[in-house]
Amino acid sequence: MSARSEKIWNYVILTVMALIVLWPVGTFIAAAVSPDRAGRPSADLQWGNFATAWTNADFARSMTVSLTITVVVVIVGTVLALLGGYAFGVLGVVGDRVLFPVILLGMMISLEAIIVPLYYQFRSLGLTDSLLGVILIHVGMGVPFGVFWMRAAFRALPRAIFESAEMDGAGPLRMLWSIAVPNLMPAVYTFILLSFMWTWNDYFLSLVFLHGDNQTATVALGVFQGRYVTQINLMAAGGLIVAAPVLILYVIFQRRFISGMLAGAIKE
Amino acid sequence: MSIARTGAAVTPETGDGGSATEAIVVRRRRGRTSHARRRARTIGLLFAAPGLLIYAGVVLWPLVQSLQYSFYKWDGISASTWVGFQNYLNFFTDPVLRSTLGNVLVLIVFFAILPIALGLLSAALITSGKRPGMAVYRWIFFLPQVLTSVVIALLFKRMYAPEGPINEALRAIGLDAFAKNWLGDFTWALPAVGLIGTWVTFGFCMVLFIAGASSIPPELYEAARMDGAGPVREFFSVTLPGLRGQIAVALTLTITAALRAFDLIWITTRGGPGTSTLTPAVALYKAAFVNPDVGQAAAIGVVMAILCLIIAVVITRVSERE
Repeated sequence: MSARSEKIWNYVILTVMALIVLWPVGTFIAAAVSPDRAGRPSADLQWGNFATAWTNADFARSMTVSLTITVVVVIVGTVLALLGGYAFGVLGVVGDRVLFPVILLGMMISLEAIIVPLYYQFRSLGLTDSLLGVILIHVGMGVPFGVFWMRAAFRALPRAIFESAEMDGAGPLRMLWSIAVPNLMPAVYTFILLSFMWTWNDYFLSLVFLHGDNQTATVALGVFQGRYVTQINLMAAGGLIVAAPVLILYVIFQRRFISGMLAGAIKE
Repeated sequence: MSIARTGAAVTPETGDGGSATEAIVVRRRRGRTSHARRRARTIGLLFAAPGLLIYAGVVLWPLVQSLQYSFYKWDGISASTWVGFQNYLNFFTDPVLRSTLGNVLVLIVFFAILPIALGLLSAALITSGKRPGMAVYRWIFFLPQVLTSVVIALLFKRMYAPEGPINEALRAIGLDAFAKNWLGDFTWALPAVGLIGTWVTFGFCMVLFIAGASSIPPELYEAARMDGAGPVREFFSVTLPGLRGQIAVALTLTITAALRAFDLIWITTRGGPGTSTLTPAVALYKAAFVNPDVGQAAAIGVVMAILCLIIAVVITRVSERE
C-alpha cells in the first residue's frame, strides 16, 4: 500500500467513525429545532422550542438546584483537595502510611456499594430530599480523587520554593495560599472542570436523594422526557439545555478535560 | 457517563510514604530537629482532617454498614430480621438476579471489548503521521464522554424508536424487515443498549491509547521498518505490546462500567422488556427503593464492589506479568 492511499484510507475510516459518533447528536439537534412533534428535521427552524421546553419542564427551578449543588461542591471540594493535597504532598501527615492507602481505596469504591445505608441513614437524619445531604455525599466521594490529584500537583513543585518561604518564616497556611496555590493553578483549573462535570452530570445520586422541588436538571429531564414522549422536539430541546453547561466548557477547555480524565484514569 | 472517577488499577505502595521520607532526608540535611518534623506532620493532619472526616462519614462508614445491612431482611420500615448469608445466596440462585450476571457478560462485549478494539484502531489511525485535522477527530470521538448520561439515553431512545432514524435508514435502503422497536425487543434490547456504551466509551479508550503510544520509543518503529514491516505488522509487533498498561487500565474501567451500568439502562429500558436488560445496579435500585428489600440491595452492592475489586486486581496482575 502506497503512502498516499494509506493516507486516504486513514481519512476515510476516521470520517466514517466521526459520522457515526455525530449521527445521534446531529439528529437530536435537528429534532430540537424542528416544528414537527415527531422531531423530523425541517428547514423551518423553531428556536422557540427551547423557551417552550424551559417553561414546560420548569428548568428554571431544576437548573438553579443543579447549579447550586455544583457550585458549592466545586468550591468546597477544591478547598478540601488543596488542604489534603498540601498535607499529604508537602507537610506529611501523622499516620499517612495508613491514611493514604485508605484514601486511595475511596477511588475504587463505587456509589452502589454505599448507596443503600447512605440513604437510610440520611433519611433518619432528615438529610434526604435536602441539597445539603447531596452536597455532603458529592464532596465526600470527591475527596479521594481531590487529594490524589492535588498531592501529585504539590509534589511536582520544586521543593526549594517551600524551603525559602520557610526560611522567611511563613506559616503553613500562608505558604499554601500565597506560594503554592498560585504555582499550581493549571492543576486547580483542571480539577474544577472535572469536578463541575461530574457533579452536574450526576444522575443516580440525585435520583435517589432529591424529589419534587429539589430535583436536579438531569433528573427533571428524565421526568420531562417521560411526560413528553409524543413531543420529541421539546424533549430534545430540553436535553440540549441540560447538556449545554458542560458542553460549552468542553468546547473551550477540551485539552484540560482530556488530560484530566486521563490522569484520573491512570492514577499511579 | 464519564468512567474515569472510580475503579482503576491502584498500587498504593508505590506512592505511599514518599513524601514523609523525602521530608526526613531534606530536613536532616538541613539540621532540623525531629521535633519540627513532627510538628509539620501534626499540622498536616489538621489540614487533611476536614476532608478525611467527610470522606469517612459518607463513604467508609456506609461501606461498613452495607456489610451489616446485607445480613438482614428489611423492608425499610418494620423491624429487620437476621438472615445470615441468604441475601448473598439469592444473588446466585434467584433466576432474575442471576440473569443480571449473564446480561453483564453480554454488556462487557459492548462496553469493553468493542470500545477497546475501536479505540486501538482510531488511535492507530490518528497517530500515524502528523496530519492536519486529527485534533478535530479526537474532539469528536471524545465528545460522548462529557455528555450527561440522561442526554445520551435520550439521544439513543430517539435513534432506536420505531419511527427513529435507524429504522428510517433501514427502510430507505429497502431493509424494512429489519426495522423494529429495538429497545422493546427481547433479543435486541440488550445489544442495542450495549452499543450505546460502545459509542460512549471508545473515544475515552482512544485518548488513553494515544497518550500511551506517545511514550513508545520511536526507535522501535524504526527497527520494525528496517525489518520491512508494514503498518499492520508494525501495529501488532510494536504498538500493541507497548500499550499493555493502557489496555489494562481501559479493561478495568470498561468492565467495571459494564458491571455498574445504571443510568443508561434505567432511562432507556428500566431493565426490560422482561428482565432482558436488567443489570445488578438496576436490580439494586429496585430492591432498595422501588420494592424495598433493603438487605438484598445492600448485598448486591457488596457483591458488585467485590467483583470490581477482583477485576481490578486480576487485570493489573496479569498485565504486569512477564
